[in-house]
Amino acid sequence: MKINISFSSDWNDEFLQKMENDGPWGNWELYKLAVQMEENLIIPDFEGLQAPKHLPQLTPLPHQLEAAKQVVEKMNGKAILADEVGLGKTIEAGLILKEYMIRGLVKKVLILVPASLVSQWAFELNTKFHIPAVVQRKSYVWESCDVVISSIDTAKRAPHRDIIFNQQYDFIIIDEAHKLKNNKTKNYEFVQNLKKKFCLLLTATPIQNKVEEIFHLVSLLKPGHLGNATLFSEKYKGKGRNVIEDEHLKELVNTVMIRNRRADTGIEWTKRQVETIIIEFSPTEQALYDAVSKFKPISDGSKGSSFSALTLQREACSSREAVFYTLKNMKAKYEQPSHDFLAKLDELFEKVNETEQNSKAEKALELIKKIDDKVIIFTEYRATQLYLQWYLQQNGISSVPFRGGFKRGKKDWMRELFQKQIQVLIATEAGGEGINLQFCHHLINFDLPWNPMRLEQRIGRIHRLGQEEDVMIYNFATKNTVEEHILKLLYEKIHLFEKVIGELDDILTKLDITNIEEYLIDVVGESRTEGEMKIKMDNFSSMIQFAQTMKEGEIHAATGNS
Amino acid sequence: MQQQEIHDFLITFFEANDCEVLENAPSHITVQLTIEMDKELMNRPFYWHYLEKTSGIPNPAQITFITDPEQAPPNMKGERIHFGSPRLHQIIESTKRLAGYTRLFEDTLPSNGRHNPLFPWLTLNVKISYQCDRKKDTFMSVGLNLISGEIMEGFHNRVLPVKVTPKIPDYSFTLSPLIMPKSGLARLDTYIRTSFENDDHSWAEEAMERWQNDLNLLEHFYKDMDEKSESYFTEKQALQAQYEPNILISIINGGLFYLSDRALG
Repeated sequence: MKINISFSSDWNDEFLQKMENDGPWGNWELYKLAVQMEENLIIPDFEGLQAPKHLPQLTPLPHQLEAAKQVVEKMNGKAILADEVGLGKTIEAGLILKEYMIRGLVKKVLILVPASLVSQWAFELNTKFHIPAVVQRKSYVWESCDVVISSIDTAKRAPHRDIIFNQQYDFIIIDEAHKLKNNKTKNYEFVQNLKKKFCLLLTATPIQNKVEEIFHLVSLLKPGHLGNATLFSEKYKGKGRNVIEDEHLKELVNTVMIRNRRADTGIEWTKRQVETIIIEFSPTEQALYDAVSKFKPISDGSKGSSFSALTLQREACSSREAVFYTLKNMKAKYEQPSHDFLAKLDELFEKVNETEQNSKAEKALELIKKIDDKVIIFTEYRATQLYLQWYLQQNGISSVPFRGGFKRGKKDWMRELFQKQIQVLIATEAGGEGINLQFCHHLINFDLPWNPMRLEQRIGRIHRLGQEEDVMIYNFATKNTVEEHILKLLYEKIHLFEKVIGELDDILTKLDITNIEEYLIDVVGESRTEGEMKIKMDNFSSMIQFAQTMKEGEIHAATGNS
Repeated sequence: MQQQEIHDFLITFFEANDCEVLENAPSHITVQLTIEMDKELMNRPFYWHYLEKTSGIPNPAQITFITDPEQAPPNMKGERIHFGSPRLHQIIESTKRLAGYTRLFEDTLPSNGRHNPLFPWLTLNVKISYQCDRKKDTFMSVGLNLISGEIMEGFHNRVLPVKVTPKIPDYSFTLSPLIMPKSGLARLDTYIRTSFENDDHSWAEEAMERWQNDLNLLEHFYKDMDEKSESYFTEKQALQAQYEPNILISIINGGLFYLSDRALG
């Protein structure tokens, strides 16, 4: 067959020029060196990985090397990396990118990640892989830098969008790619129109609900691999997640997707040690809790009313400041509140004022002093966060706040402060794509979120690859409150805290419960008696346990693709 | 590539560029850069620009490279250098740029009081890369005798042991080439191209097959669309960029060697 041959005549031209001018000529020692070094850089085989030789300070795990090799040798550089959370997809992506760059197949690279992860990616690529990746902050960066990291939300907007479409990218990486599961979104359309010579899509949850999701994801990478839209939906539509059990489809998906499971990697994870700390209210705190428990802002018996009562109860378990904040908002919400309503509110404000101490905060202080090491405190409420910061400050302990709403730079800065000099970080929002804090291994759940996924994400901030210590989790719950119910009846029953990362994710998606929080509010708020609530909770936890056993069976039976 | 090899490479590189090696320990080296090398490696054009404008006293940098971090003194300040580190690749690039072209003469003693004739050889060291969605390279060194027309493979290794000098030695004289350098280059080019003609090119056939497969899938995906969307054409181009087989010839360096008829054995 006829193969194109490319040859640049630049060398020849310059050589003839030098002949004419009689030099200048290169030094013999350097001439020999150039050949010697170039011979070292020659890559004699199509197969195998060069990247590890170039990265002596990096020790990739076996499954990461295997994944990189498979993508380069078997998948032609287009793949979905779908390892479970915490197995190091970034390392795999870095290895693959490095391999192509060393082989000279890739020069221009676009990396699209959630805004909160942009600087972390840049840091990892630069320090671990010596890849000069640049965070896109000015619009000239698209053209002048070879490896650019940005968020999709920035990239898809004018004027960036048009500039990007004019670049000739060799390699595109998209992190948290499950956000592209819907082909009707602007983000999807944007990625679809990118020229993808080599491409990696990273996600821990390739299918969340519907089988169409995997179709859309694969079609971004390799259109037609799973057929076209019409045929696919005729065949599989409405069959839910289980369709992935369909052998043929599974096989097809596995040729473009790598999914390592924690159980298969043989990595020893550090343990989770969970301690539940039951706290007793002081009399004034108890009085506040009782008062808000009786409070029905709108007494029509609708869902809304039990919702706000519950909210107030949960807040009373956290801090009086949290209660105060909500009450204030309630008061402001009604233009012409009834006399009765105002009187009730005033009564509650009174109770708030009378509350003298925060028993949980005292306990937290005691614990932090005892731990004498870095501690993360999670709370659901901003008011509690502020209060805690003040309270710790009063007691000579410095802390930094962390919120999902912080700008990227501020998040990085807070993380840095916490790592380098501050003992305590107080966070309100774990955020699925927040920061990684594996240098810390003590976590206090000052109050508990009602969505187990959120709890899992909190723990996931510190219990991940790179954590070298056992992780200590302290759960605070106030005695005889809704909080204790949730902790005792739900979380402890399903052994939530001992679970490894990502497992729960799978279980809950299997159960098809889209909004656990709503469900729990329903159970707790609408049950007329404590007995009724216990029964409902029991049912719920058994359901989760059942799904759990199903999943375990599946792991044993799975032939898997890894 | 071993750390020792990198260590030796650095020493040779800096010495060849007239930089004084201040310290040469097994674990690290410290060099005093010349002004030229500072400009070449340190990437600080503003400093040099400023200095030239104000006619200040130039102060080229000293650098310490740690080639064996385990043996290096614990408080040693310096850059760790290893295969794959950006600094090493910068220096390799710089080496190639500084030594892309050479012209050398064999340094021989006169025999029997007669003047030595030196034959002109034109040589090229090239990298040949087979590229599709994967890539592999081979190294090739060829030399052409510009009088006889003889072409010798593995020329670089043959010329390595020969003692050479940049100035024509006393009692030696060069023979004028019968083949002009320009046509010499053309002959070498043809020679190189023929060299891989009969190679096993199943890699290219397989790449074409992978390409065709993905093309078929693409057609199928967009089958129902009467007017193909832009993404269809983008994908099509992407597949070409990904799979199309190509052979790249790139010249590492080359030049003219004037050698006696005994030189290459």
